[in-house]
Amino acid sequence: MIRKTGGRRTWFVAALLAAGSLFATSLPVQAETGVSSREIKLGITLPLTGAASPGYNKIGNALDAYFKYVNDNGGVYGRKIKLIQKNDEYSPQLSIAKTNELILKDKVFALVGPLGTANFTAVHKSVGIARRKVPALFLNTGFSGFANKKSYPTSFTILPSYAMEAKIVAQFIKENLSDKKLGLVYQNDEFGIDALGAFKDAGVKFDVSIPYTSGTQSAATAQTWVSQLAAGGAQVVVFFGVTSATAPLLAVSAAAKYAPQWILGSVGSDPLTLRALGVPVAVLNGALTPAGNPSPNDTSDEYIKQFQEINEKYNNADFDDYVLQGMNIGLMTVQALRAAGKSLTRAKLIRAMETKGSSFASVAYSPLGYSRTSNVGHTGYYMAVMDAKGDRKPYGGSVVLYTTDSGKGPVVKSNFKRPAMPAKGLPTN
Amino acid sequence: MELCREVRPAVRKKILLFILLGWVLLIIGDRVDELRVYQGAQIAMYTIALASIVLLTGYSGQVSLGNGAMMAVGGYAAALTLNNLQTPIWFAFLMAIIASAIFGAILGSAAARLSGPYLAGTTLALAVGLPAIANQFSFLGGEPGILFDVGFPPERFGEEFTQYKWFFWISSVIALVALYITSNILSSRFGRTWRAVRGNALAAELAGVNSSRMKILAFTISSALAGLAGAVFAMNISLVAPGAYSLALSFALVTGAVLAGISSLPGVGFGALILVAIPEIADAIAGSLGSADKLNNYLPGLIVSVLLILSVIYTPNGPGENLRKLLHKKHAK
Amino acid sequence: MQKVFETILIGLSTGSIYALMSLAIVLVWRSTRVVNFAQAGQAMASTYIGFEIASRSEIFWLGLVFAIVAGALLGAGVDYFFMRVLFKHANSGPAAVVAPVIATLGLLGLIRSIVGLTWGGEFKSIQTPASTNGFTIGESTIPFSPLNVLIIVTTSIILIALAILFQKTNLGLALRASAYAPEIAQLAGIRTARTRTIGWAIAGGVGGVAGMLVTANNFLSPYSLDLLLVFGFIAAVIGGLESMVGAVVGAFVLGIGLTFILNYVGTSLVFIGGFTVLILVLIIKPDGIMSRGKARRA
Repeated sequence: MIRKTGGRRTWFVAALLAAGSLFATSLPVQAETGVSSREIKLGITLPLTGAASPGYNKIGNALDAYFKYVNDNGGVYGRKIKLIQKNDEYSPQLSIAKTNELILKDKVFALVGPLGTANFTAVHKSVGIARRKVPALFLNTGFSGFANKKSYPTSFTILPSYAMEAKIVAQFIKENLSDKKLGLVYQNDEFGIDALGAFKDAGVKFDVSIPYTSGTQSAATAQTWVSQLAAGGAQVVVFFGVTSATAPLLAVSAAAKYAPQWILGSVGSDPLTLRALGVPVAVLNGALTPAGNPSPNDTSDEYIKQFQEINEKYNNADFDDYVLQGMNIGLMTVQALRAAGKSLTRAKLIRAMETKGSSFASVAYSPLGYSRTSNVGHTGYYMAVMDAKGDRKPYGGSVVLYTTDSGKGPVVKSNFKRPAMPAKGLPTN
Repeated sequence: MELCREVRPAVRKKILLFILLGWVLLIIGDRVDELRVYQGAQIAMYTIALASIVLLTGYSGQVSLGNGAMMAVGGYAAALTLNNLQTPIWFAFLMAIIASAIFGAILGSAAARLSGPYLAGTTLALAVGLPAIANQFSFLGGEPGILFDVGFPPERFGEEFTQYKWFFWISSVIALVALYITSNILSSRFGRTWRAVRGNALAAELAGVNSSRMKILAFTISSALAGLAGAVFAMNISLVAPGAYSLALSFALVTGAVLAGISSLPGVGFGALILVAIPEIADAIAGSLGSADKLNNYLPGLIVSVLLILSVIYTPNGPGENLRKLLHKKHAK
Repeated sequence: MQKVFETILIGLSTGSIYALMSLAIVLVWRSTRVVNFAQAGQAMASTYIGFEIASRSEIFWLGLVFAIVAGALLGAGVDYFFMRVLFKHANSGPAAVVAPVIATLGLLGLIRSIVGLTWGGEFKSIQTPASTNGFTIGESTIPFSPLNVLIIVTTSIILIALAILFQKTNLGLALRASAYAPEIAQLAGIRTARTRTIGWAIAGGVGGVAGMLVTANNFLSPYSLDLLLVFGFIAAVIGGLESMVGAVVGAFVLGIGLTFILNYVGTSLVFIGGFTVLILVLIIKPDGIMSRGKARRA
């Protein structure tokens, strides 16, 4: 009744399998991953779709547009830059999966502009960025934790940290709004908590403090925020969250006729995106926001003018803060690649950032802090105010730049003058 | 006891088969590049998860979309244990199994009186709401989740032995052991009783079976397996986050199980392979169409859904059954 | 006191939308013995079509009409092309029990993917047909707006129309007969298959209205109606899947209850609250609060 299932046959097949797999060889390794004589492959993970995507999903295409412009003008020492964009929907485990693809499958040379605090924290640990010695340039996040060179030896920030931003806002409040009741709404993770800690250190006390979980922003939840803020009598409301949370907060406040003095964190304050999400532009009038760059509509600024021209020709989008950010990262990346020299390796790129990075040209007003011991990019903000068209002008008429650090250092006024934009937007360093 | 003498060679053969499988995996793991090794670890994880569905839905007849949630319970339990109590890794995995078994028992008791759409709808509600629940308690880390670091491979394995290969080894061993145990459970009296209850609960009760207790048992064991898979998943990506255990995951599991043959344990390897291959295939299709990664995120979902629908309609009991029917027809001729 | 009043008002508005959804689920259940999880997908797809028309014509109501038509066509199509094929093929083996459930779930995923590929995943918003500014009573503004009034009124009109349809017309009689006693209905000359398809069409149209109304104040994305599906299902279960009146009552109970949780406890517990209600009802009175005695189950 029991069939002889050919036990001997099974062993033989198995032995054959085992022997065969012994002869399978692994793939040959390139000279330097992601670099050939013709091209340099770079990768970026960002939310192209999903709850957090409005606005940020333009950064990738803007970056790509700038690279195309450079490629059309000789590339970097003859090599063309190829940017691979991966959509992670702002979800950390998707960031991990996509970054694995970028590094293991697409074999990119470096990561540029990865977006999201929780995302990069997860990726750095899970994929092992430092262990693999993959450079991660110009992180699209302001989490001050990344400013730690020991823990993040191959990563470099570009935005001032949220702690820096909060300190500068705190200074402004103390100088100009010290007698008002304060309210705070913030995203309840490393993003918002970074700012919260800095406010506490600066001695700013909020009468109403509302954390919200990333992803729960909606008209209904905004309703509860506004009720609490109004009930607490907050006359000044500081907001640290993404644009898709700013939008319902402002819209609901307008509908409820609640109009405090808004101070919107730089991450979630782009007027064009807010209007696309349904915020009536009149609400933005008078809102304050810390800014690092000139307004994207300011064509008298040489950087803005040049970037707008490139945007016209190579990109299919309206020029706003996000497009500006993307192109600026592109400008910085090309300078970094050039500084690393003709025989390009990952180690040389990192070295170039450390030694030459602080002198790179960038649209932002504040100085860059890259060095052997620091991976911090920009270090300051000025306060700006929005007008009835949602356009951004410096508070008080002219740019008053403040710089600080992410720790307990003081907030100081700075007279730093940024480097000139390279001719035609093409670096020659 | 003639039955014993008949059974023992079969058991021995099964053990040998598993050991052999392990040996082959070991060698393959040494020879392929890192991406494949990483995918291998994911395949191992999915086999455990699919086994949990085969047990619950295929054998015990209960359609549940809650296995993704049970995977989450396992993942969080393992991460919390490891991070807060600093225990060895195997203990964290054990906690994952225990925690999810407990939750499974609870869910099973509530669900034992439900059937068909009520059960599916309730577990659907659980799957959709899990992120909200996870966000509610701050010690669960909220949306960004908790990091889960099982550490590096022992140094004596050398420089070349990457962390992903280490994960592959651990996942494969766990998968093999889990499958072996599940296979034994399914071919035992329990498996037969489940199928009896599934076929005709009234008749089974008349024969003296306590069908609700059997259903709860099925939920418990299935959840334990799912929890183990969740812990392995967390190890592979070094992260436990609510987004990783979304409704899409539960969908994918059901699809994989249907493709594998919903009541066929040997098919889970095949199902797992397809689940890991789908994003690759989607990537390739999107690449040849030249579209941005934006579209790419809906393509895997499309492929999974189409596969699910086709397989439910045309091969509801798995391709194995269709093959068998085909062969029968040939024999009858 | 005012807060209680506000909460009930908003609860009515939320409950109205749940009522439309749960009604659609019960309609399909009674006619086909299948819980159509793809209902949310159909509603979402209909809403996207409504969105296209509404944003081009700038008229919300035109978009709503198109959404209803699209929903009805989609519903009929799903029944005709999909469910019939399914019942023909998957009727044996251990999978017969699970096949319809898995199939409608697969359909949900399929619709979602197609919508995502066609329109992309970015959030879209529809111009609301009525202002969302809260009414001002004396000094304070309550969060109840003309839009909420509109939602309640629209839903009531539809519910009344459906009630008339079911109680007073021949078609309604045929629908009820085909669902309750298909063989007798057939003997009486009713074409049950065609009637069932009509039932699905009505359910689809109603779902389209729900989708459009809920999106008027929110963003539209391929995932935005998932929660509606869950709450619609919970509402249907509370009322008892067998009773259409129950579906509506259950929905209002759920809507008001959840709004109380939202206002008094916080957004985070809303979902857990809903889930707990579901479990409680299933344990205590699994046939729904409106059921009388033994009703048919799966």
